[in-house]
Amino acid sequence: MSAPFFTSGSTGDLAAALVIGIGFGACLERSGLGSARKLMGQFNLTDLTVFKVMFTAIITAMLGAFFLSRIGVLDLSKVYVPETWILPQLVGGVVFGIGFAIAGLCPGTSCVAAATGRGDGFAVVFGMFAGVLATGLALPLFESFFRSTPRGGITLPAILGAPDGVVVFGIVVLALAGFAVAERIERRVIPSEARSAKSRNLHV
Amino acid sequence: MNLFTRRTQPQSYADPYVAGVCLGVVLLASFVLVGRGLGASGAFAAAAASTSSLVAPAAAHRNFFFADHLDSGSIWRDWLVIELLGVVIGAWISAALAGRIRKDVERGPSVSVRSRLASAAVGGAVMGAGAVFARGCTSGQALTGGALMSVGSWVFVAGAFAAAYAVAWVRRGAWS
Amino acid sequence: MTVRRLLATLAAGAALLALVLGTSKPTGTNIDAVALANDIEHQADHVTAEELGEWIRARKKGLRVIDVRSDSEFAEFHVASAERVALTDLAKLKPAADETIVLYSEGGAHAAQGWVLLRALGHQHVYFLRGGVLDWMEDVMNPVLPERTGIAKTDSLIEQRSALSKYFGGVPRTGAVALPEAGSARALITKTKRRGC
Repeated sequence: MSAPFFTSGSTGDLAAALVIGIGFGACLERSGLGSARKLMGQFNLTDLTVFKVMFTAIITAMLGAFFLSRIGVLDLSKVYVPETWILPQLVGGVVFGIGFAIAGLCPGTSCVAAATGRGDGFAVVFGMFAGVLATGLALPLFESFFRSTPRGGITLPAILGAPDGVVVFGIVVLALAGFAVAERIERRVIPSEARSAKSRNLHV
Repeated sequence: MNLFTRRTQPQSYADPYVAGVCLGVVLLASFVLVGRGLGASGAFAAAAASTSSLVAPAAAHRNFFFADHLDSGSIWRDWLVIELLGVVIGAWISAALAGRIRKDVERGPSVSVRSRLASAAVGGAVMGAGAVFARGCTSGQALTGGALMSVGSWVFVAGAFAAAYAVAWVRRGAWS
Repeated sequence: MTVRRLLATLAAGAALLALVLGTSKPTGTNIDAVALANDIEHQADHVTAEELGEWIRARKKGLRVIDVRSDSEFAEFHVASAERVALTDLAKLKPAADETIVLYSEGGAHAAQGWVLLRALGHQHVYFLRGGVLDWMEDVMNPVLPERTGIAKTDSLIEQRSALSKYFGGVPRTGAVALPEAGSARALITKTKRRGC
């Protein structure tokens, strides 16, 4: 029997959701991404933890999925690939980015922040709920834009006409290069004592 | 508040690359166990759908966006809602073990608590709007869609990061 | 070696391996529907009866003609050099890389479906006979050919078709066929088919 193991909606499916969520929350908190100050450091180019954690996670899961599929353990055709709607996702991304830079936390990390006692985390959660509710109520007015430019489950290898392995290789190389650049940027921006204090949960 | 630990000083954060690998393994486990990736904003959509159906059930079912989230039945059967519950639990356990639970409003040195809470709420609302159109947020689109090489997800990441850098530059006094 | 260097090295190694391996599916449980649809649109999925006849006569290397009809139909008549494989056994067919498979059935529908199955399993050089046995009879075994016209090009094409038919033991018939403009020999060979797409 190959993965995925639980079917959607079953109790196993929901139990897995809880366990996976716990792992997710723990990793986010461990890396300090429950702190708005740390997250905003990414966009002020003082603390590039967000980039490092996110892209390490992406390439780890991407490589894992590739090889598990290759040896037949994981049936990738049964894994839900987020679908593409080019225009709404571009515009939605920009709007999301604006909100992210104002709030300092994203939906997932706001829950992490709230769980650890941060008042700003609670505020973001509340704001997100209100924003989603209001947008949902108004969505019928924007339905045609919302549904525009659909491309289905199209992936980068398909659109580039390249084999999966080539695109995986390319993304990993770009990520590793990005990490090297990130390290240099951090070294240049922060003097060394501040850098060691930064890694602890202290105000600098 | 140090529940599980005798720490007087909070533990330092984990190495970002190690934490990233762990997060990647969690994401991969999600693919393997249930055939889908992580997410967060979808849980908010489910909550909004549930709320609107409590207030005005007929109208909620007629709204195509809410109707989508209402057909899984109870909100407690929504995968993302349970997952996000797990996020809260996992974050709390991790923070408690590290002595990082602290009642606080994180803000820049020149920013008042009220001002910070206001910008957090406003930013949250704007993110909510963006996440609806993008069908996800950094967890669902950037992490999951990124790992699965979905085109729309990478488009989202590009747009979100570009906009965030621009706005952060405009608001550069807020955190320093 | 620090943890970071170790991780970076592992990542780079894994990425190189991925590059070498190329695709993430072992043998398609993933069906590349877009590629298949493209082949169908560009007519790269089938051969005509004449084309198949030419391949068989030329003893095309690696050619395997496969009849997916029932045993009794096969026994009654089959295309020369054909082998019988039931649709349900197609999945077990393991063609070599240099083999070319041509599937045929009575009218072409089952063979076309077999084409999808084999292509979905990842085999590349697969075609089906458009029009099936019916077209084989009509175009190769008993083709209706026009009378000699006196135009060299047209006549040589008529000769070719007649020779092909006789090679398979067929009997070409002469009949009235509306001649297109002199010189458009291709139009002479192509007949309007009844089938749609």
